[in-house]
Amino acid sequence: MSRRVVVTGMGLVTPLGIGWKTFADNLFGGVCAIHPIEGFDTTSFKSKMGGEVHDFAPADFISGRTLRRMDRLSRMVTTSARMALEDAGIDLDGTDRNRIGIVMGTAFGATDVAARFAGTLFTDGPRRVNPILVPNTVMNAPAGHAAIELGLRGINTTVNHREASAETAIAYAATQIRQGRADVILAGGGDILSPFFFTVLERFMALSPQDGGGEQARPFGRDRNGPVAGEGAGLLCLESLESARSRGATVYCEIAGWGMSSAPAPANDWPDDPAAMVSAMQKAMAMGDVRPGDIDTISAAASGGIRSDRLEARALEQLFEGGQQPAVTALKGAMGENFASGGIRSAAMALSIHHGIVPPTPGVENPIASIDVVSAKSRKMNTNHGLINACASGGTFVSLLLKKDP
Amino acid sequence: MQSDRVVVTGRGTVNAVAKNVDAFATALKAGACGIGPVTLFDTTDYRTHTGAQVTDFDPREHIPKTFSLKRMSRSDCLAMAAALEAMADAGLTPISKAIAADTGVIIGGGAGGMLECEPVFARYLESGAGRMPGSPFAAFSCASSADHIATHLKLMGPKTTFMTACSSGATAIGYARDLIRLGNAEVVVCGGAEPLCRITYSAFNALHTVDPDYCKPFDRHRRGLTLGEGAGILILESLTHARKRKAKIYAEVLGCGISCDANHMTAPDVNATGAAGAMSTALADAGIATDVVDYINAHGTATPANDMMETRGIKAVFGSRAKRIPVSSTKSMTGHTLGAAGAIEAVVCILAIEHRFVPPTIHHDTPDGDCDLDYVSNGARDMAVNVVLSNSFAFGGNNTALVFGRFSGNRGAG
Repeated sequence: MSRRVVVTGMGLVTPLGIGWKTFADNLFGGVCAIHPIEGFDTTSFKSKMGGEVHDFAPADFISGRTLRRMDRLSRMVTTSARMALEDAGIDLDGTDRNRIGIVMGTAFGATDVAARFAGTLFTDGPRRVNPILVPNTVMNAPAGHAAIELGLRGINTTVNHREASAETAIAYAATQIRQGRADVILAGGGDILSPFFFTVLERFMALSPQDGGGEQARPFGRDRNGPVAGEGAGLLCLESLESARSRGATVYCEIAGWGMSSAPAPANDWPDDPAAMVSAMQKAMAMGDVRPGDIDTISAAASGGIRSDRLEARALEQLFEGGQQPAVTALKGAMGENFASGGIRSAAMALSIHHGIVPPTPGVENPIASIDVVSAKSRKMNTNHGLINACASGGTFVSLLLKKDP
Repeated sequence: MQSDRVVVTGRGTVNAVAKNVDAFATALKAGACGIGPVTLFDTTDYRTHTGAQVTDFDPREHIPKTFSLKRMSRSDCLAMAAALEAMADAGLTPISKAIAADTGVIIGGGAGGMLECEPVFARYLESGAGRMPGSPFAAFSCASSADHIATHLKLMGPKTTFMTACSSGATAIGYARDLIRLGNAEVVVCGGAEPLCRITYSAFNALHTVDPDYCKPFDRHRRGLTLGEGAGILILESLTHARKRKAKIYAEVLGCGISCDANHMTAPDVNATGAAGAMSTALADAGIATDVVDYINAHGTATPANDMMETRGIKAVFGSRAKRIPVSSTKSMTGHTLGAAGAIEAVVCILAIEHRFVPPTIHHDTPDGDCDLDYVSNGARDMAVNVVLSNSFAFGGNNTALVFGRFSGNRGAG
């Protein structure tokens, strides 16, 4: 009923690189992966930048039989899944696949396929829609494809709750392992950039440059003017501690706690009161039996959003007021807001803890609050406890507590 | 507070045969059919024209004027209506600040605000982004139902939305139970909601899985499902908390099992390995043997493949006893409400326990050699129902099974 949950592998398809080695080089090297979008024409948009995934060759990871049925997001997720299992050193042939699952978070799913399907429906009529596209319009397609490719018959679930999707997926997966319902779960999330989706984001989600100034993501920056859209997928291999120990696996860190909370909020927007966000962090710390003074680093949800960054800054100020200040880093400054980013950000935190180094937040020179933002260069520091925050519009908050190898 | 028992203290639903729980009990006993012409949108150019639509749904009959409906989709309104009914049923209207602080919202979603976004998208295709009104996109995500419920009721606990197609609602209920058992919440508003919309309607038609008339689960002449819409919401609560506030207990959530076919994106695995796996895991989780199950609320979509596969799965799990257990598909009445189905059917199970009856499979007229269980074809059956298994199987091979039981104060913890 109360098994401990550890991270034994990670798979990443991100703007900062494919696979954790390239990702780590770029992440800790302070690379900013936000550039003018190449994937589609941005002439008609005010926003033109994005954190795109480049040089992704899914055929290196996925068998031809299933690859041709997959959309872009499913390919990113399935690739991440295979990489995470390989990184963890799990030999599928010697393992009970009923005990291995996938829990995916996605905020928007395969927006490219959905727009194509709907495009035919509303242009040529319902009798012309392509049945081949149908399975991939559903949010749980990526987890389904990955399960088929890898033959994973354990718990398979998809969380679909805005910017908190992937962090919630990790909390859910940890809950299942803790209760003994699975030994291994690949957990995290992914979202993609696509033209119509970008239209919606630009029109209704206040992308940079809101003030007509320079377009860039500046998490916690005084001169922030909205998030930049990003994409990517990241999955952790979560495993019960006993399973990891029994096969002598390398453990990156433990998922020692998680906290979830909500606050009344305007539709699709953020509340002003930081109480619920503070509460999510407190719940995560309580579960892991640590106090604010024990937290060495925070992976902030901050994206450059006007209201959301202010909310998080206030929550951090409130929680750590008068005490030791954790090193705060905001990866969305390097990759953009990729919504279900919790898998990627948790992998980054696992690397921080494992290697004792906290990555910088590109784009930030002048933070809004009295918090210790790691800005220009990464910081070498012993890291025992880190929190990963999710702060979703509509007032949903999740915090994950990661802890050094138990 | 780990391992506390989890009980059902409130129920709410809006669906094609009933706009509240009491009316739903009556409709289930009568074998009412909610299938008729779809009028939410023009179906002239579609292959089929019927559905299990919630007709004459006026959100204002369910949602007080103090709460703006402006940024809510039809799906959000269905979810909110069912949630408010369930909260009132649980005696949590109004909810105290102390209880709200420990109350979560876990919803299984589907098409969300798609119905409202479709005409906007159509206009975008015609005349570009310049003419695109923004407000429908505020409710596009199926996450907005949980957001509205939590915001309206000022709930501060865990909140999330699952989207595993046709098993979303059941998965949400399973997670709500986990949160309570692990002490992450005392009370959880959980369930699912689904609207009829053009995208879903055309997608299922493109796959030729829709019966042009009405669905006939387990019948030899079955030709597919009937799409439906609605919402089902339960209030789950730790037994300790329910007792402390002297809440009426309708049933206990005994078990949950989740598995994946890992076989095909849309077609069920003919060997029923995943389906049987979810059922046996749920029974093992409940700590009960197969011989105490009184009734199985089937997934029973009425597609040729599902009903044969599910029958096979039930036989694999229950062996020689399979033919003696009443199995019914209430989708024959409510249609297949996709993301809401597992939650609406959870309400069915709880009503069956409370009112001591098994709801029928209507339109089951001609036996099929591949489907040879007791499908409760001749109307509802009065009988004691103490333990119920409810199946939900989905695209992506996502299977969830739930076990509900009559609440008995004497049962051992866990």
